[in-house]
Amino acid sequence: MKVRMQRSARIWFVLPAMLIVLALLVYPVLSSIYFSFTNRNLLRTAYEFVSFQNFSFVLSNPEFWNAFTNSIKWTVGSVLGQLLIGFFAALALEKVPRLSGLYRTLLIIPWAFPAIVIGFSWRWILNDVYGFLPNLLTQLGFSESNVSFLSSPDVVFWIVIGINIWFGAPLFMVNILAALKTVPRDQQEAALVDGANMAQRFWFITLPHIKKVIGLLLILRTIWVFNNFELLFLITGGGPAGLTTTLPIYAYRTGWGLHQLGMASAVTVLLLVFLLAVAAVAFRVINRWERIQAR
Amino acid sequence: MFNQRSLNGSAGRRKWRYAIAAGAVTAALALTSCSAGGAPEESDTGELSGDLVFWSSFTQGPRAEYMEKMADKFTAEHPKVNISIETFSWGEFETKWTTGLASGQVPDISTALPNQVVEMINVDALEPVDDIIDDIGRDRFSAAALKEGQKDGKSYSVPVYSHAQVMWYRKDLLAAKGLDVPTTWDEFKDAAIALNDPPTTYGASVPFGTNDLMGTRYLNFYVQSAGGSLIDDKGRADLTSKAAIDGINYWVDLYKATSPEGSINYNVLDQATLFYQGKTAFDFNSGFHISGVASASPDLLDDIAAAPLPRLKSGDPVYGGETSNIPLVVWGNSDNKRAAKVFVESLYNDADYIEFIHSVPGGMLPALSDIADDPAYQDNDILKQFADSVSVIEDVIPLGSAIGMESGPTVQSGIITSQAVIEHMFQDIILNGTPVKDAAKSAQDKLNQLFVASGVSFK
Repeated sequence: MKVRMQRSARIWFVLPAMLIVLALLVYPVLSSIYFSFTNRNLLRTAYEFVSFQNFSFVLSNPEFWNAFTNSIKWTVGSVLGQLLIGFFAALALEKVPRLSGLYRTLLIIPWAFPAIVIGFSWRWILNDVYGFLPNLLTQLGFSESNVSFLSSPDVVFWIVIGINIWFGAPLFMVNILAALKTVPRDQQEAALVDGANMAQRFWFITLPHIKKVIGLLLILRTIWVFNNFELLFLITGGGPAGLTTTLPIYAYRTGWGLHQLGMASAVTVLLLVFLLAVAAVAFRVINRWERIQAR
Repeated sequence: MFNQRSLNGSAGRRKWRYAIAAGAVTAALALTSCSAGGAPEESDTGELSGDLVFWSSFTQGPRAEYMEKMADKFTAEHPKVNISIETFSWGEFETKWTTGLASGQVPDISTALPNQVVEMINVDALEPVDDIIDDIGRDRFSAAALKEGQKDGKSYSVPVYSHAQVMWYRKDLLAAKGLDVPTTWDEFKDAAIALNDPPTTYGASVPFGTNDLMGTRYLNFYVQSAGGSLIDDKGRADLTSKAAIDGINYWVDLYKATSPEGSINYNVLDQATLFYQGKTAFDFNSGFHISGVASASPDLLDDIAAAPLPRLKSGDPVYGGETSNIPLVVWGNSDNKRAAKVFVESLYNDADYIEFIHSVPGGMLPALSDIADDPAYQDNDILKQFADSVSVIEDVIPLGSAIGMESGPTVQSGIITSQAVIEHMFQDIILNGTPVKDAAKSAQDKLNQLFVASGVSFK
């Protein structure tokens, strides 16, 4: 009886959380999947089942594939850049004997600002007439006239990836720094006594302890960056000439601009499938690391 | 003991079941009563009461403060009415009302853009407001402004202010070069090239950013000056007419000759900021430029003035390139339509209305024709200083309409200004070297596809 009561109490305690998860996660996902098979328009209540018509239209649209390619480039460039900068910043900060807390706080500042502030600030900083950076480069003699960072097809993508690296690297840094604190000192000291050099100590002792954290960060940031809309939209609007149009921007124009919820849902479902596949592969790799570590 | 507890437990569970069942019946009854009648029936007489939600896109300080003041004033006169004003930018409002409509969460009153009003009317979301218009005085409103919110002989929006696009120029720069104010597109190009002295001053910035409608606006000016329209009589996009092709070539040439390179990705704020900072000799905008220059570069205020948009040929008449009649609407789902309508009407009391218009002098021009002649309205320092420029804007307001609404309210108007197809076309021509006619045809086809996808059937 006691066991049964404990079981029912457990259910009652877990139920609110389950309901919230269902409402906030499962319902939107299922409704997106459902609407992706309909011609649902945001402004009309009546809609019909259209089978795979939305998917067929989207997948045969060159704009979708342009946005998909841009999304891949944007995600890979941003996440790898964030990892590298965040990783080396964490290693450097670990060696800082004093005021490391202050430096950590300073480096995390980008996360304290809403995306709209960051977007508009960078737009102003990079403006080719009154922007701070182009004028500074001209005054220092690095360019003859003000560089137009946001309109040049050759540099615009690198610029927005650079901004995203600036924004996202601190998250990697803070988490990797926390992971570095868990690396056992005695193992490092034993390796040092055994004659291991710095690279060997890093490869055989430090990396195995932090790679799970790095793996999880990579999965999370890949999903966030792939889904990121506001930063790119505020800075470039997807332009010039579609060079920075990613899938979320494409879905936004379809969903809000045209009110075609069915079509926009098809884009988001494709996005979901792709991200689930990426996450599944990544989790498989992390699980393998765990099994190796457990042996 | 065990049995007693078990019995108690059983009785307790029964009580709970009864309580849950009673609650469910009550909830079902409440839901039934709601679905049967919804809110209590409104009476046409008696004291006003209830909560009103007003979604306002008047985000700037003085306009937002004015609305709060008017809500407080109304509540003081009608103590049983509570007005809650929620302020959104126009971009946010678009998202808010479309999702709100899908979920049934719409306000009682809101501001709206003319193309949004068309969409709202088409989905039967608005309450007719002919009674408000008649009470204020139908003949006091411009017929063109009223037409933008009408369908099947009923009015669904009340214009609250108007503005129109005109050419702004720097008097001092023109005088220094001994140039006259240009009246044709050719003169405009010549003057812009003559005044082009980057990075100090650019002759004219030509903006094509895809997160705004500026490219569409500029092309529309040119096509309007040739007597054409971006939407043809049958409701199709028309970017391949001679006027449209000439217009595309004109703006591409001017971009290359006098515009900052980065303007290919400028939005309205980037563009306006250049003029506010004295970085451009010419710009196209409404009377809102006065307050923009006043706050950013007050020293320049004496050096700016407005003139009608350039014409195609010398001697062509002045035309209305783009007029915006911003209205208020009452939502059909409102539980307090009577209170909502009385509140909207209260905003048009002469003294209060003039105070509202004075919150952005020259930027918002009265939607009530007689107010423009009211000495109380004219008694404003900015309006006196810019009397000639304001007069130019007043003259073109009745001549124009929203982009794509030249033949009346259309859904196409919203699509052509929100999908950045024309802006993308300009960027494609400039950055990828796509031939103008090919790019125009491709953009035209894409717009027509989008129209069809949005349920438009061509005449």
